[in-house]
Amino acid sequence: MKILVVDDSKAMRAIVKRALSTLDRVAGATILEAVDGREALGVIQAESPDLVLSDWNMPEMTGIELLQALNEGGAVPPFGFVTSESTPEMHELAKTHGAKFLVSKPFTPESLDQALAGAL
Amino acid sequence: MDAPVVELDRIASDIWTAMLGLTLEPYHDAPVFPPDQRVATGVVQITGDFEGAVTIQLGDTKARDIAAVMFAMEPEEVGDEEVSDAVGELANMTGGNVKSTICGSCQLSLPSVTSGRDYHVSLPGTAVRERIGMTCDGDLVVITMLTRQDA
Repeated sequence: MKILVVDDSKAMRAIVKRALSTLDRVAGATILEAVDGREALGVIQAESPDLVLSDWNMPEMTGIELLQALNEGGAVPPFGFVTSESTPEMHELAKTHGAKFLVSKPFTPESLDQALAGAL
Repeated sequence: MDAPVVELDRIASDIWTAMLGLTLEPYHDAPVFPPDQRVATGVVQITGDFEGAVTIQLGDTKARDIAAVMFAMEPEEVGDEEVSDAVGELANMTGGNVKSTICGSCQLSLPSVTSGRDYHVSLPGTAVRERIGMTCDGDLVVITMLTRQDA
């Protein structure tokens, strides 16, 4: 299994990776990284990850713009947001574009696992 | 729009506990750093139905400790880039949770980070709405919410 973590914060990518490493559900997964939506598009094209975990607010291309671009391209891997912002409008927008979940920061490995349960 | 109720202390405590495994305690004195202490400041701005900003400030040594926790490194291994990234992410999470508490349509900026001694943070057209001090293992952490004065 390949999981792509997209976040402009290197610290947050490290935290998400560490949380994933504790979850039996994704044990042994290869973790890929991208710093924004634009870089993620390239990684998705090259690596075909089984899951994308993306921040929402990023430079160059936001998480929702990434999801929109994937939808336009036709092939969307299971996609979830991990973001510090969590409004009803964002949940609705994410759902409308096919996101499987939106996990709010701060999160725990348990809350991330719960979200992944519905996506994998 | 009406001024929303924002519990900065609860928001900060939740973030530090869940993401860092650290406890923030209330600080009952004036939340001011000594002028000779190097202080890191992370800022995010909120625009839209609510206009303002959220800052988080902590001493450079504490900022390095936090970065070390985030990156699972020793503090002496942490570089300035990691410290800046960590403080920016703290500001992003704090501001993002403040934004989520506020009703209406708002946008959150990307974080900015600065560091130095004896400086004052101001955003033109805004005033301090709330400033709280908390401590983590005895080190001061200051969180400030600014609002546009005509908001």
